[in-house]
Amino acid sequence: MPPLVAGNTLICSTFESNAAYGGRTKKGPAGTHLDRTPRIPIPMSCFLKSYKAAALLMALVAGMGNLEALAAEESLVGGSAPGPPPPIPAGESGHRSHVQPFFTTYCIRCHGAEKTKGEMTLHTLDGDLASGAGGELDRWERILEVLDDGEMPPEDEKQPTAVERAAVQAWIDQGMRDHVAKASDAIAAPLARRLTNFEYENTMRDLLGIDLELIKDLSQDPQKPYQFNNSAEFMLLGPDQLDRYLKTARRALASAIVDPEKPKVHRQSWTFEPTGPAFATAQPDEIAVYTGGSGRKGTAVITSWPETGEYRIRIKAAAILPPGFKDVPLRIVMGSILRGDAGTGDYTPVGTVHLTNDVEHLQDFEFRGRIENHPIQVGEVTKDGQEPATRHIYCQNLYDNGRLNDNSVNHFDTAWQFSVPRAVVRSIEFEAPVVDTWPPEHHTRILPASPLRSADPDAYVRNVLKSFITRAYRRPTSPDEVDRFLKIYKMLEPEFDSLEATMRETLATVLVSPQFLYHTVAADGLTTPDYEMASRLSYFLRGSMPDQELLSLAAAGQLDDPGVIQSQVRRMLADERARDFVRNFTMQWLSIEKSRTVNINRNLFPRFLYLVPNGERTGQEQLYRPTIRDYLIDETVGFIGELIRRNASVLTIVDSDFAWLNEPLASHYGVDGVHGLRFRAVPVARDAKLGGLPTQGSVLVGNGTGSAPHPIYRAVWLREAILGDEVPPPPAEVPALSDKAGESVASATTIKDLLRIHRTEEACNDCHVRLDPWGIPFEEYNAVGQYQPMIPKNGAVVRRYQANVDGTLDGYRKYLETVNTVKVDASARIPNGPEVTGMRDLKDYLLSDRKEEVAENVIRRLLAYGIGRPLTYHDRYAVEALLDECKQGEYPFQDIIVAICSSELFRTPTRATRP
Amino acid sequence: MTQESHRMNRRTVLRGGGIALALPFLSSMSRAASLVAKVQQPKRMLISYISYGVYDPPTKDKTCHEWSWYPRHDSGPITLNKASAPFESVKDSITYLRGLDHPGGYGLGGHSSGDVFATAADMCGADNTNNISIDQLAAKVAGHHTRYPSLVLGSEGGTGSYGMSKTLSHYGPGQPVPALEKPQEIFNRLFRPYANHTVEDVRARLKREASVLDLMKENYRSLHGKLGADDRRKMDEYLDSVRAIEQRVERTSKWTHEELPKIDTKGLNLEATYHQPTEYMRCMYDLIYLAFQTDSTRFATFMTESESSTGNLVGNFPNMLFGYKGGTHDIAHNRPEDASGEWEKWRAEQHAYFLKRLRDTPEGDGTMLDTTVVLWGSAHPHGSHSTKDYPLQIAGGNQLGFKHGRLHNFEGARKKPLSNVFVSMLNAVDVPVEKFADSTGELTEILA
Repeated sequence: MPPLVAGNTLICSTFESNAAYGGRTKKGPAGTHLDRTPRIPIPMSCFLKSYKAAALLMALVAGMGNLEALAAEESLVGGSAPGPPPPIPAGESGHRSHVQPFFTTYCIRCHGAEKTKGEMTLHTLDGDLASGAGGELDRWERILEVLDDGEMPPEDEKQPTAVERAAVQAWIDQGMRDHVAKASDAIAAPLARRLTNFEYENTMRDLLGIDLELIKDLSQDPQKPYQFNNSAEFMLLGPDQLDRYLKTARRALASAIVDPEKPKVHRQSWTFEPTGPAFATAQPDEIAVYTGGSGRKGTAVITSWPETGEYRIRIKAAAILPPGFKDVPLRIVMGSILRGDAGTGDYTPVGTVHLTNDVEHLQDFEFRGRIENHPIQVGEVTKDGQEPATRHIYCQNLYDNGRLNDNSVNHFDTAWQFSVPRAVVRSIEFEAPVVDTWPPEHHTRILPASPLRSADPDAYVRNVLKSFITRAYRRPTSPDEVDRFLKIYKMLEPEFDSLEATMRETLATVLVSPQFLYHTVAADGLTTPDYEMASRLSYFLRGSMPDQELLSLAAAGQLDDPGVIQSQVRRMLADERARDFVRNFTMQWLSIEKSRTVNINRNLFPRFLYLVPNGERTGQEQLYRPTIRDYLIDETVGFIGELIRRNASVLTIVDSDFAWLNEPLASHYGVDGVHGLRFRAVPVARDAKLGGLPTQGSVLVGNGTGSAPHPIYRAVWLREAILGDEVPPPPAEVPALSDKAGESVASATTIKDLLRIHRTEEACNDCHVRLDPWGIPFEEYNAVGQYQPMIPKNGAVVRRYQANVDGTLDGYRKYLETVNTVKVDASARIPNGPEVTGMRDLKDYLLSDRKEEVAENVIRRLLAYGIGRPLTYHDRYAVEALLDECKQGEYPFQDIIVAICSSELFRTPTRATRP
Repeated sequence: MTQESHRMNRRTVLRGGGIALALPFLSSMSRAASLVAKVQQPKRMLISYISYGVYDPPTKDKTCHEWSWYPRHDSGPITLNKASAPFESVKDSITYLRGLDHPGGYGLGGHSSGDVFATAADMCGADNTNNISIDQLAAKVAGHHTRYPSLVLGSEGGTGSYGMSKTLSHYGPGQPVPALEKPQEIFNRLFRPYANHTVEDVRARLKREASVLDLMKENYRSLHGKLGADDRRKMDEYLDSVRAIEQRVERTSKWTHEELPKIDTKGLNLEATYHQPTEYMRCMYDLIYLAFQTDSTRFATFMTESESSTGNLVGNFPNMLFGYKGGTHDIAHNRPEDASGEWEKWRAEQHAYFLKRLRDTPEGDGTMLDTTVVLWGSAHPHGSHSTKDYPLQIAGGNQLGFKHGRLHNFEGARKKPLSNVFVSMLNAVDVPVEKFADSTGELTEILA
């Protein structure tokens, strides 16, 4: 054995730093747990912590033996209390003398020249970490993580002693640390990233002062599960997009800049008389639950409107509330003809009111919006020629107790309809454009009234351009920059007949310039880091351009002051615009969009979807009302928003003492006492089946097959979204797992059995043994996200659901009881962990043993989203510092966001923080 | 050699595409290439896509089901079965390929490998993004002969998104070409591009646009000089995009001096919508035919369905056509014998309709079909949502060096990348290449 070179200082710093990072496990724990070599499942985090003290002590002890000596020493002490690892000489000599022999002994058989499991090979690694040569540091980080986690070597392979393992970990960690310290200035990830569509639409709204739907005209942004798309890598630009940006800018400016003369106002009104024919069960002004799909009730057909402009819709309305009901939600929508039974219709909401007043006290309600945002019904061609286009206003009663899909209930059932709230709409008035002030504010903010306009038109145009470009660029502009657009203005002027028209076209070119389409970069030399910071903060926490307050602070050079940053972050988080951030962040982080498209098996879950009861679309989904699916997304987004608002610990994502529910969702989950559509925090007991993210329907439905739960999808979700692991996709040569599990109750084979079969193939086993156990505890929740501990007996042949017999609520309950007769098997042994049975156990385990991992994951997600690029090994020590900083109070959500925004990495994302 | 090949006076490698454009005189002149050289008529290419694979149930004795999309299982001359019967009259101009695919799409998943059908990009590996498709490569190299460099159609329109593409065509990484789906709009773009404006007006507008684009480039350059190297590289995308628009303006301008083709719209139902699947599909194929016939373009793609059509009526065609209870996705999962048969036959009828129109149009000493190479297929086989062994049919191009009438099975040890077919197709339409994406050569089996 070569002699070990060890200086006390070096040892000390090595262990200090490693211990400070102790227990941190970025990549998931994933040791194999076959029964051949049982090991006491002590989580590595405990182990690392336990030797922290010993490491410090040992650092004082001079004289180190070689690996064997230390191993012997360890056995003297006793295996359960590992001693401190010996230091391995830094750099290549240590690699040659210790690390490479370690790999040869424990790893190369599977990760060498012959086998390359997990696409990882160790025999070719260059041991000079500090120089970062060969671009191998990503690989080294992965090795460090699997050693940290105890994931490798697999349990059925020859194991290094704890001392050997820790020594190699320390050597890698120190090498990386040295490298990051040296190389931190040299990181050059591109910062020039295009605005995402979400950011673009919000920015246009704040720049122009009108809320237009623009995303539908742009190319879709890429989406990858569990990844944020706001990075330079994803935000690419091509000619087609530039084309669309130009068209969209022209369209938006046609709305923003009006023509000078006061326009004609289009008005129409409709009244609905409460005296219908004698046989009518409900009066013509009444809107019952199922009236919103079609029909004449509460429907207004608009035949003329301005091309652009704000509209105003006034309705005179009231509620008919049977005893026990407090309000009825009435939604107004506008668009093309809505044919509920044909499944056609394209509309956007105008607004929703919760009516409480009775018919004796009719009230006026006013809604405003942009006419451009509502689809048009193109007129039909008849033998008399083309009929004019129309827009249709519909009033919809959104009352929903979560049980509307009871087969016995539909709009023919008047007794039922009269037992739930109805809305009354006595009149509808439509008016557009709103000309209370003319020209409107959004016009004068671009083209202010000024004597200069006639006195010195050139100066006026220059001022207009300068002011608009400055706001669009989110930073000060140079005279050159303004001149360029003045040239464009002059070039266009002869072709347009008014200043307004010329300005629209000129400003459209501003809105396709890179300074607008890309995030503000201080490196362009035209601005200061303060403006870059203002934009970064704003796009992080509002998904839009900075507001006046941020820009003023940037102008005053105050955005490098930690106190200012802190107060600005809290201000923005308290603002309602933070909702945009929460939604965008949460949807991508948790990858829950797919819960909207999973095809639900209607034979197994006849009551989950709201189906059309009759007509040619019988049995298909209702198009005209929000469904449980929509509310599931709102639940998760609202839940995260509430955690941020409360500054709750991020660990609450694992389990919480409240659920975020409204009445339909509460009914879906079986929670009583929640009334109305508004979401609120509903306290849930510890042994309830709700709380935290893992039991939310958006997660469970999205990671199911629509027929059965899918433990693999759910395991992947848990490891990616909660634990922050990267789970590789199945390799191409592996045969797919049958997705037939549970597809029909008649041939029930449990997925657990299918997985067992799957694992008998070695190629599958390598990964699944580390994956499956995480998904099994989720088996207590069915494919529509409900707690369902009973399932059909394996292989049992059961009676099919029959709507005419099992359709009622009671009938359905009885049906389920006869079908689901055995308790689901939801127990699994967590890799490197204990046996858990069901969700409660899993959550407890995560909260006791995996806290830091969960917290670190949330920090990493927020950080990557905030700086707009995926994190690399360079950022390892910045994350470590944030984790330490937020430990107080168990990682409060808001405090983490403040810490991120105050961190050097966020403020100057070109450089990683020095360790 | 054709006159335009001298334009490429040295070997050009297109950025990011792994494509080597070859100098024709450097590559050994194959028999096929010499055939191609003789043809004076326009050489055209269509790639048409069907979703979720095809019906091809495995049998014990390696025979083929009478309703299988493939007319036979193993290599050999073909006799059409019930599902492929619509191709009877063009039997001598079609070839079936089994066992070819794009390894770059393996990791994409059962709803996504259509993304790389015409690009062969390694989306889950080195690229992490899509890349140029063969029609767009052809358009770059030989698109200047026609008014439009390419025609990109798709029943669902637009680009879709990563893993859910609704177009087969891509200019390059992150640059999908949006597919057009409305017959009237396609017709207007192709044959009434100036709408109600006079050519003079259009020229004036184009001139103005060109000047504005110049200033936009100037604006970009002022920013560019101040950026770091990585940002600069990143922002080149922007400049490339402006340049592409600039080239289009120049090109449109140039073509205003050429007369627009006269089109006989008789029998063309431009009002067709998804509600009439057969009429709609025929109309789209008619438009491609007309674009080829008038030499308005030579390169087209048509995504007749995508794997994300469950969200719209296109995924419901089987229901609308013959009352099948589920959509195309459902058929792929369950492969019910009767509905699968009907569905395959309908799809074959639509595609055969197009091939027959080409065959029925004489041109030079043959027909349009002889100088048009048509690839038809899916990025999934029979096995529900597998991403391997694409079902493929290649048709036409009899004068461009292709020989037909057989099925070639490349399963197992004979495995080759599908991009080899692309190399042969490109070479056949005067876009000489040595390599495209992961290709390892030409697919000699299908060449004369």
